[in-house]
Amino acid sequence: MEESVKILTDESEAKISSCATISDLNDIRVRVLGKNGELTALLKSMKDLPPEKRPQAGKIVNAAREKLEQAIAARQAELEQIELDKRLRDEKIDISIDMRQPASGGLHPLTIMRNRITEFFSSLGFVIADSPEIETDYYNFEALNIPADHPAREMQDTFFITENILLRSQTSAGQVRMMEKVKPPIKMLSPGRVFRADEADATHSPVFHQVEGLVVDKGITMCDLKGILDLFAQKFFGKNTKTRFRPSYFPFTEPSVEVDASCSQCGGKGCRVCKGTGWIEILGAGMVNRNVLQNCGINPDEYTGFAFGVGLDRITNIIFGINSLRTVFENDVRFLKQFN
Amino acid sequence: MKLPIGWLNDYVSTEGITPEELADKLLNIGFEVEEIIHTGEGIDRVVTGKILNIQKHPDADKLSVCKVDVGSESLTIVTGAKNISVGNTVPVALDGATLPNGVRITASPLRGVMSYGMLCSGAELGVDDNVIEGAEVNGILLLPNITPGTDIKDALRLNETVLDISVTANRPDCQCVYGMAREIAAMLGKKLKPLNLKHASVEYAQTPTVEVKDDACSRYTCNVISDVKIKKSPEWLRDRLRYVGIRPINNVVDITNYVLAEVGQPLHAFDTSFVSKLGIIVRKAENGEQITALDERTYTLNNNMLVIADNEKALAIAGVMGGEYSGITDATRNVLLESARFAKGNIRSTSRALGLRSDSSARYEKGVDYESVDIGRERALALFSMLKAGKVTCAFAAENRVKPQTKKIKTSAKKISELLGIEVKPNVVAKILKALTFKVETGGDNLTVEAPLFREDIENYTDLAEEVIRFYGYDNIKSTFMPSAKTTAGGLDTRQRNIDFLKSLACGLGAYEISTYSFIAKKTADKLNLPQDSVLRKQIELLNPLSDEYAVMRTQLASSMLNVVAHNFSKKNKDFRLFEVGKTYIAQELPLKELPQEHDTLCMAFTGEQESFYTMKYAVKEILRRFAVAPEKVEYGKKSYYHPGISCEYYLNGASFCSFGKLHPLVAKNYGISNDVYICEMNLNGFISREIPNVKFAPLPKYQTVERDLAVIVREEVPAGDIIKTAKNADPLCVHAELFDVYRGEQIEAGHKSVALSFTLSSPEKTLAEEEITTAFNNVLYSLEREFGAKLR
Repeated sequence: MEESVKILTDESEAKISSCATISDLNDIRVRVLGKNGELTALLKSMKDLPPEKRPQAGKIVNAAREKLEQAIAARQAELEQIELDKRLRDEKIDISIDMRQPASGGLHPLTIMRNRITEFFSSLGFVIADSPEIETDYYNFEALNIPADHPAREMQDTFFITENILLRSQTSAGQVRMMEKVKPPIKMLSPGRVFRADEADATHSPVFHQVEGLVVDKGITMCDLKGILDLFAQKFFGKNTKTRFRPSYFPFTEPSVEVDASCSQCGGKGCRVCKGTGWIEILGAGMVNRNVLQNCGINPDEYTGFAFGVGLDRITNIIFGINSLRTVFENDVRFLKQFN
Repeated sequence: MKLPIGWLNDYVSTEGITPEELADKLLNIGFEVEEIIHTGEGIDRVVTGKILNIQKHPDADKLSVCKVDVGSESLTIVTGAKNISVGNTVPVALDGATLPNGVRITASPLRGVMSYGMLCSGAELGVDDNVIEGAEVNGILLLPNITPGTDIKDALRLNETVLDISVTANRPDCQCVYGMAREIAAMLGKKLKPLNLKHASVEYAQTPTVEVKDDACSRYTCNVISDVKIKKSPEWLRDRLRYVGIRPINNVVDITNYVLAEVGQPLHAFDTSFVSKLGIIVRKAENGEQITALDERTYTLNNNMLVIADNEKALAIAGVMGGEYSGITDATRNVLLESARFAKGNIRSTSRALGLRSDSSARYEKGVDYESVDIGRERALALFSMLKAGKVTCAFAAENRVKPQTKKIKTSAKKISELLGIEVKPNVVAKILKALTFKVETGGDNLTVEAPLFREDIENYTDLAEEVIRFYGYDNIKSTFMPSAKTTAGGLDTRQRNIDFLKSLACGLGAYEISTYSFIAKKTADKLNLPQDSVLRKQIELLNPLSDEYAVMRTQLASSMLNVVAHNFSKKNKDFRLFEVGKTYIAQELPLKELPQEHDTLCMAFTGEQESFYTMKYAVKEILRRFAVAPEKVEYGKKSYYHPGISCEYYLNGASFCSFGKLHPLVAKNYGISNDVYICEMNLNGFISREIPNVKFAPLPKYQTVERDLAVIVREEVPAGDIIKTAKNADPLCVHAELFDVYRGEQIEAGHKSVALSFTLSSPEKTLAEEEITTAFNNVLYSLEREFGAKLR
């Protein structure tokens, strides 16, 4: 009996460890440990033994059963692992392949920059205002202190529709509309499309975009203008950016300044981007001219204010390193995809 | 304006300051130096040389071999020139020299003889007879006797430095040498030297008269110079005119131009023999009056234009150009010199209307001040006297039609400081303004300031603040953050937020945003095959477009989009989605009487293998769904540039507000487009300013939903969309229905189709029982039978 159990156990163990599939393993389990299995048959044959030997024989058979069950479980785990490994190996794909999917699209670089700027000024309490692109002479010129024979009308060639109606040549036209409707305190930012009779080339376009800022309140000073523009320049050109005011002339501000930012490319040492000067002209600004306030029914002895006008296309080109304004309006898909 | 440093130094010394330093300082006070021009730039290693001997070239009949003393050595130089002889002093380009035209000279053999340089002509050095007599002869420039080895730039006075300064429009007083000298003197804290206005006067037999009949001439003066000798101006004067870009003519004309450049006063010289009775009348021209000007062209004038006339005829177009007979000729004996002030607007409109510009009109357009009329005239008379160009006489006449008003500004250093945001002391303010020749009275903090007449730009204390900070220095302006301002709430309004949201939706649908011009070609209307009576043809025209391509304001965005699509196809880009949100400009009537409407409009274009009418329809419906817009009516497309059977129109408030579909094949051809393109245009005005309503949460179904499929046979013309809509409304338990197949084929009766749909049944209250499901299914089927005569397949 003992002998038979040992032989069966050894033989079965050898089969278990050499079997290659889970179904073969199952077959072994059924053949050996099943209801009609070989070990079960040995157990059944115990009834032929004398009663005093039966407990001993039972122990031997049960020990063998336990041993074989463990061996089967261990082999089962092994085989499962092998099968899993094989499956994972078989499922391996070429990860270098790219597949076309519906793309997510994206905004034009001018919109991206416009949004960044409006967001920045919104957070400082500026209301974003729109005004008509087709304007009257009054709002584009006269109310901005540019009467009919004023030299400033020479500075920009305007597209006219009638003697009195024109394509606005500056977003400043929106200043007056705002101030007619809303009284101080005013903090306004007006981004928009403007038009000037310039032939299109790398730096000119008959259609371009400005972002006009306006603040009117009691006690507003030129230092406040500097404060806002320093923040603006640092936000868009880097923390260490400095600004420089240079005297200039705009009919709707007095004093008027051109504002330069230190060149972010070379840090002010002079390079190709800043044409060796260390400075990049970023915008025009000044204290709102008293006549303009008066034209809008705001008492210039009570209130002062500042205004600034940023060339959106110019800033966009500087920040993204776009070298030609033409490219911006060509809308080549390969260009548009670069920003998104 | 061009500012030669030597000329500037006549009035303020810039000794010890380099042109670059001067340019930096000028930038700080508001004058940008656009270019520092070194005359003679481009000429290098060219010296004077003396010809020691000339021999025939051994192997070339037309060449000679010269020995030339160039100071340090004598060089062998081969030349083809015929006009040289031994002992001549000539310009010699040495080995390694460069000439203004960019040519580089190197020692090289010419027909076998080494030539160690080149003898130069005037043209090769870029000089003409105005620089040196004989420069324009055909051959080598023969110089006077100058020490060999002298740099040619010194020999020909090509060694001046000129600043090309950009002067802002508010400072016409700085459009001249003396005006800039005044600013620079104040800037450097140096004394401004006075102009030399000295001259004696002799008697003259006749006294001129002046009668000014129009306010556009506020002041007119004239003075006779007798016994004029027309000749060439001296070299120094011709040089200075050259430096500022004016061509020297003769002494009389040169003096007027010199004064224009130096003090900014245009002058005009009439030959007295053509001025009847020496009686000057300044008047408006008659309508249709004609005058032949110095340029020998005849101009027809109108009654807005100012002329200088005698009692018989017009002598000149005031401030613009003289008449042909009144000008200075070699026979001129006596000159009537005009110095006057004309209104800038009048001169500008005359010059524009006639298409005639001159140095004089250009200057008048910028604005000539009241005082420079006298200064300019006196300076010219002093030059006549100094150059002995004629005898200055006592024959003088003047009329002041409009007297200038001096402006007194009462303000305080405190007010100026408050605007600037930094404290500037009263004595500092006074010092700066006085340096600029303002009259300043101080009383404690108070200031009473009188601006000089040439500062017509000064109106109030803010102008004074600018003068102060220009010279006090913008570096002193600090950064502050509006400590006195009230807090305000910023941000976008509903419309702006909605437009941003719309753009993000379009991006989410895979489209890239484009940006195109607002004006288009007028013929675009034909390219889109618009019918003659189409409202889209009511385009607003520009009076002065850049070209025909950009002549009218767009009434639709499709054409700009199609140009971009075509451009991309030409670059081999395909499979893309694009969108633009822009304005269309809608005129109530043409020509415009009032401002037109500007409509926010969305345009999209889809193209690529996967695209169809239905992909575009999905995008459009997705956008409308997110804006909670439900079109009232849907129809097949009506616009001329859509395929009539593959496009549609959506209606809102009784009008079509959105159209989309496949581009019409003929229009595609007009744009050179051969791929399929689907476009959409949506007028956003009806909903873009509306707050998008808040979503009301619908509880998720607690009980299992049930799905059922149904295929029915209907007549071909029944729209599948209507079947879906009817199915959805057929039973309250039916919460969703969608199309999954349309089939036409053998098993289906001709003129019919099979439409298969699946629908979802659900109750918020319970799990559906089988009989409830059957009832709902039958309700759907009955509705379809009733509405469309549908039969279960």
